[in-house]
Amino acid sequence: MADLELRNISKSYGATKVLHDINLKIDDGEFIVFVGPSGCGKSTLLRLIAGLDEITDGDLLIGGERSNKLSPKQRNIAMVFQSYALYPQMTVAENMGFSLSLERRPKAEIRQKVDEAAATLKLEALLDRKPGQLSGGQRQRVAIGRAIVRNPRVFLLDEPLSNLDAALRTETRVEIGELHQRLKTTMIYVTHDQVEAMTMADRIVILNAGRIEQVGTPMELYNTPATEFVASFIGSPKMNLITGKAAQEYDAATIGIRPEHLDIVTESPHWQGLITLVERLGHNTIVYAQVPDVGPVTISLEGQHEYQVGQNVGLDADLSKIHRFARDGRPLV
Amino acid sequence: MASRLIVFGILALIAFLMTAPSAMTLFTSLKPPEELILPAWTPPASITFEHFERVWTDGGFRRYFLNTILISAVDAIVMIGLASMTAYAMVFMSFRGKLALQVLFVVGLMIPVTAIILPLYTTIRSVGLINTHLGVIFADLALAMPVFVFMFSSYFVSIPRALHEAARIDGATEFQIYRRVVMPVSVPAIITTGLLEFMWSWNDLLLRLLLLPREGMRTLSVGLLNFQGQQTRDIAGISAGTVIMAIPVVLLFLFFQRHFVRGMTAGAVK
Repeated sequence: MADLELRNISKSYGATKVLHDINLKIDDGEFIVFVGPSGCGKSTLLRLIAGLDEITDGDLLIGGERSNKLSPKQRNIAMVFQSYALYPQMTVAENMGFSLSLERRPKAEIRQKVDEAAATLKLEALLDRKPGQLSGGQRQRVAIGRAIVRNPRVFLLDEPLSNLDAALRTETRVEIGELHQRLKTTMIYVTHDQVEAMTMADRIVILNAGRIEQVGTPMELYNTPATEFVASFIGSPKMNLITGKAAQEYDAATIGIRPEHLDIVTESPHWQGLITLVERLGHNTIVYAQVPDVGPVTISLEGQHEYQVGQNVGLDADLSKIHRFARDGRPLV
Repeated sequence: MASRLIVFGILALIAFLMTAPSAMTLFTSLKPPEELILPAWTPPASITFEHFERVWTDGGFRRYFLNTILISAVDAIVMIGLASMTAYAMVFMSFRGKLALQVLFVVGLMIPVTAIILPLYTTIRSVGLINTHLGVIFADLALAMPVFVFMFSSYFVSIPRALHEAARIDGATEFQIYRRVVMPVSVPAIITTGLLEFMWSWNDLLLRLLLLPREGMRTLSVGLLNFQGQQTRDIAGISAGTVIMAIPVVLLFLFFQRHFVRGMTAGAVK
């Protein structure tokens, strides 16, 4: 186990700079999630930590030791790839024990460690199969097992759930969370899915265009977003961002209201809107409405409601939950 | 229906034209001397193996066969190792001069052997390797290397990059990744390279004629010329020799056909 520190890390490909002065401290045993839209640099940052790509500028410290020039092996990190990257010609047991066999560990020791990891991940019955004979979820567990066997200081997981179907994704998400609780090893997890980030992370690092937008616990990011981008990225459905006259009323360039902080009211509404779509999810109802001078807004209502498309409704916002942003996207206090 | 018949007819004609020379050679090699005056496309009325015996013993084919097997097998095995390692470096590693090396290999693909045969001969002679199997093997490897580096490279780029990276994370050295991760998943490319290099080496005449003039060093392709005089030729001997020469290659191709086609088409489609 180890802590990590990234000091002014930059990465360039030729003249193109893709990561700009990344500064981040990750505590020992912490579960950190890098999240951001496609192309924001989150996977690149993970590859720099792994040692798969060279750091252009800055320092990477693992366990207090400058590790820029160390090989992936010397860093003693394990990585789970989006595509699983299992060796197709090897059995599950061989895949999981590959790193130990490279170290020329005794066969009995390798077998024991593989068996332990297999038991943890319920892979005992699959040890003699080849990756081609496994389902997506099983392959993912083998990939995680291959990482566990090495007992690394840091786990890196690069969008490990993106190839799984929705049900399996939720299940595996829980399993990874439980695994982290059990192993207490530092984990860095990359995803573009903010729900994964919110549900799994101790802290989330939000990246945008190669820069860190904000670092914080899921609730910090949700309640006090540091930028308009974070406000719009965290939360599902997305925060309503309103500009123009409606924002000027609150002395802001943009105001943000989360869908759950808007309500449909009959008495003295702040706005009037025309319902354009209703999504009924059972435990809540999401209403999309078009408000004159404001634009499209999303309202999330608890429970089941019988609103209809084309219906005119009055809308009111919880004023204490409105986020105000300046023209540069920074929040106004 | 009519168009299908026309296509079928054209294909049948092409198949006939392609196989006719082989069939005629086989017929001639099996005909007793008295039947050799008959047209080549007539099958033998009675079969004899006397031409094969004559070619094998009196014609020196036993020795030529061993020479050819030795050169072709070494060529194929060494080529698999050399070309795959070079291609591995080209595809998976970064090093200074990589682009220049790639350009050199492309240039190597474009130069025909006949264009450099004299400097090649002079070089081989200057290092004292005329009339040695090693001289021919070096020349074969150098001349065919760009083709097989290109073939292995095409195959390697189809291997997911993440496999290589996963092995690096697991602590494998480049050679361990090459040997334990990349090569085991490259069987079609290995077989294609081995087979093609073996066949090219087996069938080559020009280099062997030039570099192995001594009788005891000759290969099958050169040995066939023994049956061809300036004014006359031993058509039954040439046919039997040709059949002897063709059998190993045909067997190898039939045995590895499936892998061969996979190797040749690797990377063609996603």
